[in-house]
Amino acid sequence: MDRRSFTVVIAAVILRLVLFTAFPSLPNLLTNRVELSTPVTSFKRLQEGLFLYTHGLSPYDGGVFHQAPLLLAFFTTLPSNPIVVYLVYILSDVLSAYSLIQIATSGVSVSTPYHTSSRKSSTWPPWAVAVAFLFNPFSIATCIARPTIVFTNTAILTAIAKGVKGHGIAAVLALAMASYLSLYPVLLLPPMVLLAYDSLPAAKKVGRSLGSFAAVLTAVFTVAAAGLGALSWGITGGSWEFLASTYGVHLLLPDLTPNVGLWWYFFIEMFDSFREFFLCVFQLHLAVYLAGLCLRLRKQPLFVITTLLGISSIFKSYPSIGDTALYLSLLSLYRHIFPLMRYTFFVTSTLLYATLLGPAFYYLWIYAGSGNANFFYAITLVWSLAVTVLVSDAIFAVLRDEWETERPEMKGKEIVQI
Amino acid sequence: MRLLSWPSITQLLLAPLVVASASEYNDYSENLLLKSLPGNSVLASFRFVSNGTFDSHHSVFPRSLAQILQQSQTKELHLKFTLGRWDAEQWGRQIWDGRTAGGTGVELWAWVEAADDSEADARWTTLNNALSGLFCASLNFIDSTRTIRPVMSFQPDGHHSPERLERLHLLHGTLPREPVCTENLTPFLKLLPCKGKAGISSLLDGHRLFDAQWQSMSIDVKPVCEESGKCQLQMEQTVDMVLDVERSLGKKDSPVPKPPPIEHLSCDQEKPYAGGDSCFPLSGVTDLPWSLSEMFGRPIRGSCPLAVVPTEEATHVCVNIAEQRSIFVSQGSEERKKSPELRCFILNENLDFDIILPELSPSTNIPLTPPPLYASRSLTGHGQERGGIQAVLNNPSSNSTVEFVYLESLPWFMKPYLHTLSATISGKDDGNIIQDIYYRPALDRKRGTQLEVRLRVPPRETVLLNYEFDKAVLRYTEYPPDANRGFDIAPAIISILDPTSQKSTFSIRTTSLLLSLPTPDFSMPYNVIILTSTVMALAFGSIFNILVRRFVGADEVLGGGLVSKIRGRIMALVANRRAGGDKPKTE
Repeated sequence: MDRRSFTVVIAAVILRLVLFTAFPSLPNLLTNRVELSTPVTSFKRLQEGLFLYTHGLSPYDGGVFHQAPLLLAFFTTLPSNPIVVYLVYILSDVLSAYSLIQIATSGVSVSTPYHTSSRKSSTWPPWAVAVAFLFNPFSIATCIARPTIVFTNTAILTAIAKGVKGHGIAAVLALAMASYLSLYPVLLLPPMVLLAYDSLPAAKKVGRSLGSFAAVLTAVFTVAAAGLGALSWGITGGSWEFLASTYGVHLLLPDLTPNVGLWWYFFIEMFDSFREFFLCVFQLHLAVYLAGLCLRLRKQPLFVITTLLGISSIFKSYPSIGDTALYLSLLSLYRHIFPLMRYTFFVTSTLLYATLLGPAFYYLWIYAGSGNANFFYAITLVWSLAVTVLVSDAIFAVLRDEWETERPEMKGKEIVQI
Repeated sequence: MRLLSWPSITQLLLAPLVVASASEYNDYSENLLLKSLPGNSVLASFRFVSNGTFDSHHSVFPRSLAQILQQSQTKELHLKFTLGRWDAEQWGRQIWDGRTAGGTGVELWAWVEAADDSEADARWTTLNNALSGLFCASLNFIDSTRTIRPVMSFQPDGHHSPERLERLHLLHGTLPREPVCTENLTPFLKLLPCKGKAGISSLLDGHRLFDAQWQSMSIDVKPVCEESGKCQLQMEQTVDMVLDVERSLGKKDSPVPKPPPIEHLSCDQEKPYAGGDSCFPLSGVTDLPWSLSEMFGRPIRGSCPLAVVPTEEATHVCVNIAEQRSIFVSQGSEERKKSPELRCFILNENLDFDIILPELSPSTNIPLTPPPLYASRSLTGHGQERGGIQAVLNNPSSNSTVEFVYLESLPWFMKPYLHTLSATISGKDDGNIIQDIYYRPALDRKRGTQLEVRLRVPPRETVLLNYEFDKAVLRYTEYPPDANRGFDIAPAIISILDPTSQKSTFSIRTTSLLLSLPTPDFSMPYNVIILTSTVMALAFGSIFNILVRRFVGADEVLGGGLVSKIRGRIMALVANRRAGGDKPKTE
């Protein structure tokens, strides 16, 4: 980490500490925001789970706590001082930023063994990527609201940082942790394997086919996930109840609390006889992009990971702003393709529009009573649409960048797709 | 009998109860207590006790109920239909120590004999469905989400052998929204041997009963055993109501209640704004005159011939009024004056019976006994996202600490946070208020929350019990048709514990609460499905569109438009044909 990155991190830590301490009511205010806390990440629900757990009741035999058992074990070892909890979340953000700096330093976003962007020079330095993450208002709000998605994000970024260095085993271990915490990162396993394989030093690659490498990593991932499951089984006193109460909730959506995603209102309004069918469709929809992206963007597995994170921040069952913050910070590694994007103005203004109007419309619905649920639903649609356009536009830009690298003479010319 | 040695007025109030237990093995007894309350209110408490066995065909115990109990293996049953709120501040201690009163709506709890929980649940469902038919109430809606198994609040009243006690399961269900009405009273009266045609039950009329300020109908069935081991089922039916004398008398002139003209109001003339059209109503100036036939619309039609022969102790009707107040009764009845304030009467089997109380001025009330605890509960917070509950529990006693169990049965869509539960006295918690907590959290759509807290309130102190909760958003089919009215939350049940035996000696119910949940737009299902699907299709379409198609420079394609593309295809096809018609096409 160079000196500038270090300064950035210190500044971010100070900013967060100031926000935590100078505005004592801010953390709880943000914790109660549906955009930041979902039923599967909320800090308030974590506190309830901890309370039940420390009083000898199973937190999984209830409808409030849906988070992983290791979080319980971790938080019970912490002193009950809120400052300690703040520091844990800040530390988690610092680790995320450190991983991002490592990823940016490795330069995988601009040059992989199969592809080196012709716009290599216009990429952002590592400290700027750290700024894009640490000073993104979405990241800051997420950190202050203390949802457990922060830990998932750290685990994902750590996995990527290990992956770009070719440490496949470490990468899938971190990814297993992320999947254990919030299920959907399991989709990142194939591109993570590709990323780790591509990043292997040439000497190590000799005699190792991608197939055998993937088999080993998948086995490690499975064993790690099973190990975490077994550990949780031990923590919860020899009961598998936590599986249904954590992953079951991600999959079956029993809690319809509003969030920035598309699922909650859809399944409030869904006819009962079609509920299971659409649950399957929605879950499969998330997985459907995996193969297509891995094949088409085989040269840039890091971008596949980024795109999958973007897609899941729109279409997973309980998305929050924290997921979008992670996608945006990874996207900042791709500064060089920004000039190739077509709808930046539209996306920026729509995201701003949704960010500002979302809380207002939620207030009109829930508190003022002068609006109804459609107001907030409309804003989540706009938000999802904006992120969708951003994701697809970024894919377009990256593919165009690849194409221009193949055909440098076409740079700056108008193109069509056939 | 130990009770008879109590040197107080309660002895005399409890006299019918004592007598009933003395004559437990007689088949049927009934009595009525009328007690004047402050503010021109009258408490009328009807009590009917029948005994019998399952197998007897000549018993006064109703067979319809006996068969239900036998079918569902229910050993003890308590069913309450209640409307209104007992105003403890004004009316004092509840009659029968609150044993006969339930929470607003319908409340049912029973001890069911079963080998395990699932069998108990099945029998509980059988019981609910059968009782639902018998009492024309929606008891069949007591499903797993409204059923709890209280741990600390209830103890069986009947005599159960220790072996049986181990196999008994206590289940408790509430329907706070149930409107109690005439259709519940009719089957209730049908269970009585005289079916409301004779005896004190002939006073029970739906129009008067459900017009009361507070009323409660209860049925308690329990086994009662002699020392010889012979057991019988005892059913105690009670109807308690608080009638507003002024309102009841007004029914005589106009069946539809309407405000009296200003000249009929008694106004406080000392107020500066008095006179003209403004009136500060004076209450408690005089005790209004009333009679049984005015209050209930008819006199008592003789005594029920099936009831036990009244004795010196077991009388039919007792009136508990101030000593100064005179009382006139119909001919043919015998008076037994048990104390200056308690006058009892034995009815003639064939003659109508009426009581007339003349006006008394100034108003004179019999002294009230305060309840062991004043309790009220309310919702806090605003908005439809989350809220809180605050219970105010005040111990009026000047010297004794009161210990009790506070039981909440909450629906699953109200998600309490137990870590926010706090009990404070003047803002401070000395750690000694909450003695014990039993908590069973809700499971979405499967089970409600059960919270039992054992608390201790020092003399003359008020405890504030607070907790926060989240409101869930339901599927649109789970809302009732009037979704914006809100959802009723069952009353909290407070059981005062005896300090030595730790058994419940007195119970209090708070009022029910109305919880408003966020509602979706019920007209939107198609629109939401279409709009959400559109966004998903857009994402899928645009991403795969970019992924599967190749890039070419705009100047590298002919025209680029659809027309030119089709023309190009056709031209190619034609050229191919011309080149060699016999060759297989390669395109």
